[in-house]
Amino acid sequence: MLALTTPYLWYTTRATGLVTLVLFTMVVSLGALVANRAGGTVVGRFEINELHRSLAVAAVLFLAIHVVTTVLDSFVPTGPASVIIPLTSSYKRVPIALGTVAFDLLLAVWLSSLAKARLANATWRFLHWFSWLAFATSLVHAVTAGTDARHGLGLVVVVVCAGIGAGAGVWRVLARPPRAAGRTALSPLSGSPSSAPTSASSGVPRPPRSPSRGPR
Amino acid sequence: MGVRRRPDTFTMRVNPILCDGFGHCAELAPELVHLDEWGYPIIVDGPIRLSVPAALDSARYAVRGCPRQALRLEYQRPARAESPGRRRID
Repeated sequence: MLALTTPYLWYTTRATGLVTLVLFTMVVSLGALVANRAGGTVVGRFEINELHRSLAVAAVLFLAIHVVTTVLDSFVPTGPASVIIPLTSSYKRVPIALGTVAFDLLLAVWLSSLAKARLANATWRFLHWFSWLAFATSLVHAVTAGTDARHGLGLVVVVVCAGIGAGAGVWRVLARPPRAAGRTALSPLSGSPSSAPTSASSGVPRPPRSPSRGPR
Repeated sequence: MGVRRRPDTFTMRVNPILCDGFGHCAELAPELVHLDEWGYPIIVDGPIRLSVPAALDSARYAVRGCPRQALRLEYQRPARAESPGRRRID
């Protein structure tokens, strides 16, 4: 365990933990934007999707640094098993276990996204919902286990991230596009044609239901 | 006889069961995909020549960028050995 007694591993753990939280807030919010079909006029939808994917890679890298430095650091005895198995840390048993649970959930999300082409789409979507759970768990982990998250700038970061994440979750549910409810606008699931958006969602004017309704 | 010819054309196909009309393909490959009134893709007809690298590039971007993995590329090999360039009129 030589050179592992420096305080810099501990500082790295704390710093990367907060950075990971910020990055995952952005990833989750951008994912909600993609799923609710935001963009298409000023910013392309594919651009939001690309940002979502790229930032997810960055967030996973920072999470890896956060986990590795926590285990290597000898200042707090967590133990290598606590990376995967919850409640095995002798330091802050339950708060570290929350981080472990969030890590396991994110591992499922990440690996399923890597294998997306080989998975059934319903399987991938089901696993991708876990990211909300992982995000909420990691917030509790940040408050309970975090050294910096209860005062000063760290508290501000955590509160802002929680607010943005909660807002994204509410908006994800409330602002679902009507198109997701049914196959097409002609589907019986999509509601009456008057309540459905006509030209706002696709940018293309929809032809009238019956040509005899009037001249256009 | 044992000669494995390289594909010279490709076709992009959409799985209409998987497609949810996100519209990313029309942004990534506007020369290959048009959207109908409901935002679902209409892909241009016919095989596209692999000798046009820009078309293949944007098709690959569209396949990779589809949030539902509903797009795929199919590569066609030339049918005959002689004059593969004149196999198709376009």
